[in-house]
Amino acid sequence: MSMTATKMLVRDWRGGELGVLVMALVLAVGVVSGISAFTTRLQTALVQESHRFLAADAVVRSGRELPTEWLEEATRQQVPHALTLQFPSMVYAGDDRMYLASVKAVSSAYPLRGELSYSRAPFGDVLPATTGPARGEVWLDSRLFPLLDTAVGQKITIGEAEFVVTAAARTEPDQGTSFYGFGPRVLMHYDDIPATNVVQPGSRVEYRQLFAGPATSLDAFTQWLEPKLQDGQRLVNVDEGQPGIANALGRAESFLLLAGSLAVVLAGVAVALAARRFSERHHDYVAIIKSLGATSSTVNQLYGRSLLLLGCIATCLGCLLGWGIQSVFFQLFAEQLPVQPGPSGIRPYAIGAATSLTCLLCFAWPPLRRLAQASPLRVLRRDLPLENRRATTDYAIGLVAIALLMWWYSQDWKLTLAVLAGLAVTAGLGFCLALTLLRGGRLVGMSAGSIWRLALAGLQRRGATNALQVVIFAMAIMLLLVIILVRTSLIDEWKTQMPEDAPNHFMINIGPEDVQPIEHLLRTENIPSEAFYPMIRGRIMSINDESLPSTDDVEQNRRQRETNFTWSDAAPAENELVAGQWWASGTDRAVVSLEEEFAERLDITVGDTMGFLVGSQPLEAEVTSIRQLDWQSMRPNFYLVFPPKLLAPYPATFMTSFHLDASNKVFLNRFIRQFPTATVIEMDIVVEQIRNIINQVSAAIELVLMVILAAGALVLIAGVQASVDARMHESAILRALGAQRRLILGGLLIEFATLGLFAGLLATVAAELSVFILQTFVMDMAYTPQPWIWPLGIFAGALIIGGLGVFSCRRVVSTPPVLVLRQL
Amino acid sequence: MIKCKNLQKRVPMAGAELEILKGITLEIKSGEAVAIIGASGSGKSTLLGLLAGLDEASAGSIDIDGTDLGALNEDGRAQFRAQNIGFVFQSFQLLPALTALENVMLPLELQGQSNVAQQAESFLERVELGDRMGHYPLQLSGGEQQRVAIARAFANKPAILFADEPTGNLDTRTGEHIIDLLFELNQEEGTTLVLVTHDAALAERCQRRIRLDGGALVKE
Repeated sequence: MSMTATKMLVRDWRGGELGVLVMALVLAVGVVSGISAFTTRLQTALVQESHRFLAADAVVRSGRELPTEWLEEATRQQVPHALTLQFPSMVYAGDDRMYLASVKAVSSAYPLRGELSYSRAPFGDVLPATTGPARGEVWLDSRLFPLLDTAVGQKITIGEAEFVVTAAARTEPDQGTSFYGFGPRVLMHYDDIPATNVVQPGSRVEYRQLFAGPATSLDAFTQWLEPKLQDGQRLVNVDEGQPGIANALGRAESFLLLAGSLAVVLAGVAVALAARRFSERHHDYVAIIKSLGATSSTVNQLYGRSLLLLGCIATCLGCLLGWGIQSVFFQLFAEQLPVQPGPSGIRPYAIGAATSLTCLLCFAWPPLRRLAQASPLRVLRRDLPLENRRATTDYAIGLVAIALLMWWYSQDWKLTLAVLAGLAVTAGLGFCLALTLLRGGRLVGMSAGSIWRLALAGLQRRGATNALQVVIFAMAIMLLLVIILVRTSLIDEWKTQMPEDAPNHFMINIGPEDVQPIEHLLRTENIPSEAFYPMIRGRIMSINDESLPSTDDVEQNRRQRETNFTWSDAAPAENELVAGQWWASGTDRAVVSLEEEFAERLDITVGDTMGFLVGSQPLEAEVTSIRQLDWQSMRPNFYLVFPPKLLAPYPATFMTSFHLDASNKVFLNRFIRQFPTATVIEMDIVVEQIRNIINQVSAAIELVLMVILAAGALVLIAGVQASVDARMHESAILRALGAQRRLILGGLLIEFATLGLFAGLLATVAAELSVFILQTFVMDMAYTPQPWIWPLGIFAGALIIGGLGVFSCRRVVSTPPVLVLRQL
Repeated sequence: MIKCKNLQKRVPMAGAELEILKGITLEIKSGEAVAIIGASGSGKSTLLGLLAGLDEASAGSIDIDGTDLGALNEDGRAQFRAQNIGFVFQSFQLLPALTALENVMLPLELQGQSNVAQQAESFLERVELGDRMGHYPLQLSGGEQQRVAIARAFANKPAILFADEPTGNLDTRTGEHIIDLLFELNQEEGTTLVLVTHDAALAERCQRRIRLDGGALVKE
């Protein structure tokens, strides 16, 4: 019988009956394994990305020199390592030009992860470097060139040693975003430190030992190292300091998992529909072979084997498709991803295969299994009803399978529930509504013209079947609307978060007397900037009159710490109050507003009092509000905001951020000469990188959307096909009786379009509900109703279903009715 | 030998029971050719379905060569059909997915025989379709399809052949040719032949005619 099974498959494939079934399976496996492989590889890339921000996999840092035995042990355990040392120091060019710079000395192996970048001239084209300056050489921050009035090739002095300037230092993987307290960067070789003789006991320095390597050897090493750490020595690993793009990528991942889950649902429904139709059309086959003596177990074996064979083929094709999908995604990313994505491993394809198996077992097998119960008497009496009594059990099995698959796949019960809620609303409400509406049509329809009467009579006659079809169409349309809606709001949000003219440079250390002239200069140069915020360095001393521990070495949340204060009469733009109230304009109360995470770290709530030290003067204030703000906005953001009158007596500098086009970078040379005390921090490379990655993620999302649309189209096609046989038969009879092409096609169009209209309406309601739940509880976004999906859902539903219906039945008017009648 | 006693068939219809066969008792000897005739709706096909084990009787018994069909479940009857029974149908009932040869091989495969291709080929040659073995049903004319069906029916050397209006879908000349073939093979193989027909000429060629009227035997 195995020959027969293969033969049957081949012939059914040619007859187009298996097309939808196979395509649905291939799509399900492809989308699931593709998205899963993509997110897995993206995660490994993200981990590497965060390693990159450490320039290593693990780092030990301390204010005092670290034991060299640790490095020896690392060498013994074959863990690559590097050293850095950072300290502030005056840098001299010639006799009269000097500037306080932030010197960083790096060993030859630095960086272990990520890369350095430099340019041949200040603010010039950025080039990658695998290692820092050679001995005797230094790289200077671009803005140091005008400040020291030096150039590449000239000499500078640090301490007692002289160095040749060979390049402009542009970015370091671990430069971080804390730019306070240090001046512009000078990069030098670690081995040149002794010659400078600047590092003395008590100097404010930071030593770092960097380690990297495969997870296993690194774990072993850090386990060896951890017990040896003393006070003031701190092991930093990847979990700290995620990159700025993590948030965007995190949401993109949610979206992709959602898309993958929807693809599973859609493909499951398509598989179920296709298998049901396949089984209906095979009732006669089974009756024949049973009349020839095949037992139920023979029939089960025959179809079981066919299904298994089909499953294997579809799974292989699906995995190939999945591999292709993730490759295309990474092609899109290739230039933007700063690190090579890791291998995805076998798991995504195993998930794909499991999806295929579940689809086959829960959606395709139940209707095929019932084939074995077909009566052989059908060979004599074709009008015998089909064995479909247990269809409700099938639906239940399918629903449970869908829920479990979605949950297993997304590992997110909220996401699963949101989609299931939408599906439940569509199914439950939809079925009742559809039945009522279809019944109501009778009263209107009877007096209508002939085409309408024909169409409405058709709708009525198959009332329950049609209602089921409406529900299936509605589910497919709903899922498509959900994915379109979520995609749109996601991309919109990114666009507003990262507009083309987002600030990409910070300017700090602006003296009060320079604020006006700088504002004026930026305005005349047409450079858009944010407001100027005062910045006052202060120290947090106590909370509710309880003094905080003062040591800087102890890494704990409740301790004294230096930070920047600002004042403002109104809540800063884009800051959202999450607790308390903003003060009245012009208040002279001693109050303060805190950033949410900062308040959580210090365990402070509204009503607490905090003690500060500004300069040498104590200050006390009550916390009256807590703000939430977006750290990725590239605007000046502050942990602590005070009313202007409270901070007015203290000396302040100002800061702002502004947007500078790449073509206008030379402006900085002029600016720095004119305002030598102000510090400009270039974030444009980072901003550009974030924007590029977001663009690529958007492209990936569009691509996934297309795949999901294809899966949705499959469901619609499978749904239409499910009822085509009966409609073809009736239409053939009508044609035999002399009905015109127009009447038949018109009738079919109205019939299918009406179904589509109802389906679209239901889908839109359910989609709004799902999206509300998804955005509010899963993706952590603000929900805004989208009125445009109402016409889209309803009319696209009518148009697409109507079109597909007529297209699927077109054969009835193009072939002689006798052929149609004979074939059915 | 087919023996049936007080065979009844009732089906529920619109809340009531419709009696299709009202107690049929008859015997058909081995090697005999019998025609079941009667008007449309008289219960001919129902009787054929019961005798062939395609359906279960509501009451009464059927015994074929010592096997009580009523004691078998559907799978048991399927095995019985595979070993003992061949069919020829009005609408041919070939599997469209299989070639002529594969259609004829099917009952042999179901019996678990070896050498099935050779046996099937020889039967197709006997129905003069040796040159069309690789053709699919849709590529064959109605007469050719029915010849394939006949080859399939005889392929597993059944003791009894049931034919349901074997010429019903064919023109007169083709029909005659099919009938000749059917009787020729029937004689060669020594098969018992039970056929349902409206065709008086076909019925005349059988040794015996059983007439049904309103679900009851009129005369034998």
